Amino acid sequence: MLPEITLAALFLLVSFQLILARRLRTAVGAYQLQSWLLGGISIALFVDTHLLGLLAFGLLIVVLKGLAIPTLLRRRMGFALTAGRESAYYVGFPTALLVGAALCLAGFIAASRIPSPSRLLPEAVLGIGIAVLLLGLFTTTARRDGVLQMGGLLVAENGLLLIGLVLAPRLSLLIEFALVLDVLIAVVVMAFLLARMHEAVASTDTSELTRLRG
Amino acid sequence: MAALLVAVLVVPLAAGVASWLLPTDRLRYLLVLPTTLLTLGLALALIAGVLQHGALRAFNDWLYLDHLGAVVLLVVALVSTMAGLYSVAYFRSTANAHAVRAGEMRKYFALFHLFVFTMVTATVSGNLGLLWMAVTATTFAAAPLVDFYGSHGPLEAAWKFIILAVAGELIALFGFLCLYASAVGWLGGSYNFTVPVLQSVGPHLSPALGTLGFLLVLVGFGTKAGLAPMHTWLPDAHSQAPAPICAMLSGAELNCAMLAILRVLALVTPAERGGTELRAALLAFGLLSMTVGAVFLISQRDFKRLLAYSSVEQMGLITAGIGLGAPLAVFGALLQMLAHSLAKCLMFFNAGNLLLRFRSTTISDVRGVVRVAPMTAVLVVAGALAIAGAPPFGLFLSEASIISGGFGAGAGAAAGFIAVLLVVGFIALVAPFSRMVFGEGRAGPLPPRAELGAAVLLPGYVLLAAVLLLGVFVPGPLHALLAGAAREVRG
Repeated sequence: MLPEITLAALFLLVSFQLILARRLRTAVGAYQLQSWLLGGISIALFVDTHLLGLLAFGLLIVVLKGLAIPTLLRRRMGFALTAGRESAYYVGFPTALLVGAALCLAGFIAASRIPSPSRLLPEAVLGIGIAVLLLGLFTTTARRDGVLQMGGLLVAENGLLLIGLVLAPRLSLLIEFALVLDVLIAVVVMAFLLARMHEAVASTDTSELTRLRG
Repeated sequence: MAALLVAVLVVPLAAGVASWLLPTDRLRYLLVLPTTLLTLGLALALIAGVLQHGALRAFNDWLYLDHLGAVVLLVVALVSTMAGLYSVAYFRSTANAHAVRAGEMRKYFALFHLFVFTMVTATVSGNLGLLWMAVTATTFAAAPLVDFYGSHGPLEAAWKFIILAVAGELIALFGFLCLYASAVGWLGGSYNFTVPVLQSVGPHLSPALGTLGFLLVLVGFGTKAGLAPMHTWLPDAHSQAPAPICAMLSGAELNCAMLAILRVLALVTPAERGGTELRAALLAFGLLSMTVGAVFLISQRDFKRLLAYSSVEQMGLITAGIGLGAPLAVFGALLQMLAHSLAKCLMFFNAGNLLLRFRSTTISDVRGVVRVAPMTAVLVVAGALAIAGAPPFGLFLSEASIISGGFGAGAGAAAGFIAVLLVVGFIALVAPFSRMVFGEGRAGPLPPRAELGAAVLLPGYVLLAAVLLLGVFVPGPLHALLAGAAREVRG
């Protein structure tokens, strides 16, 4: 269990790097690292349990989320990444960090309340999964930049897949493949909209989009 | 029947691919009616099958159609057929100020058919992973359509839509994972995650995990179904899209998310000792959405946003009706789903027609419709009365069923509150539309008296006839379908 728990702890740490990222390039790098870690957890779990589905799932994560999506982001979002500009929050960075810590705590408390039906991974990993889901959703709502909002959703999705490894490690691979594919489509559509936004207002800062009220 | 289940998926998918590949817009327009009608025909054949044999199952239950799925399938097929017809008429209308650019219709119709495909998939999904995916995929097909006009407002709406919808979908997925885990104690770690399998588990589902799963799905897909307080994207997306797409978003897509919520409700209810707590959560979200919807209806200046907030109120009513739990109220809520979809579709077509004639969606810019275009005016007045729930239209019948079901079940306070909110909604909807139709005193001259072509009016009249029919009598097979679905929802 030790490798899985270590990887999961790193997985949580990397999400903080994403929350704190001031540059979009850092955020994409952190996302890539996080996806590799998630794949690693799944593969480590395969080594312990010899469930082939976990190996396949781990490889799928590494290929799709560790390679394909970051590459896609670097190619399609080039206009946003090279700018190297500050990516502000609606709240200040210290506040964001504090909220992040509170959400982690909330994740672990929630995990302790979820009853355990024959799990392969310990409760702490479930806590990390829920914490990362919450951190991702928080980033999405608190960031001003569209690219980082999308980043928040991708992080939340990683957290969710970790929750899935704890709660439903034997879920059919076909379903898991489809879930991961779904994210790829989401990224393509969002990247398309972000490119349109960049065309329209020469920025992906969504705080410029305030026409629709009430 | 397996062949029919596959066919109803293949037709819209193939139509989408064909729309992308066809060389001219004229061919794309010609393709719409046959493919949507074929989908509708297949849907009706499937519904007949459900009525005759009970739930249809295929491919190890990956595809599964019961009464509840069939009700939503009917809604999706009817609304998309009408929206397809209207799309062609709307974009070809000489009154349309939007000059269609090269390549635009290719994108529009390819996405239109794909949107239909994702919604149909949601209704025939037996595997809950597939159901989640299909509901999620509706967002991906719809968001670029919301952004169709590509200017500032639509872009903002599309972005809000996709971000909030995806966030909600992730929460819903957490719910589905809990639901999966809730049956692991009974079925073992690896099982077929489908509706029939979970139904067979019944009361042996872990109540704690099941309830958590349901609440997460309610919040997550509630975001997509437009329930307050997660509804904030809806008035933007449902008002900025082209009129036929607004009709599909409000009339069909919201119900697909609702279907997923109801499916999980039905599966968890047996383990939750009758599901009292689950229904209380539904009732709370429903009443809150109705309140928010009614309050914002009063303050609207834009008639498309007015209709969008009306969708928030109506989805709240459907949720509250299910939450009341009495057989009559649940039956009413499902009838409401159908009647609201048809009436809302009609009203968004009206909104499109008013935009064609008056070049504005601001309520105060539109006056004297009855003098400018009487045939349009008839549709607007009748449609507004229908959507507001006046007799003899279908929504009156369904709303009355929900309220009297509530009183009958001893939930008088909730039912009374619903009735008050519906009255507020009635006034807030009918007043602006009657000002637009009969009012005088518009700044500047009225547009010249001229009817819009028959093509843009026809889908509206067909829908009006259908909503009227639903209010006068519910045909036998439809009654059986709704009653069957109500039984399934109540677990």
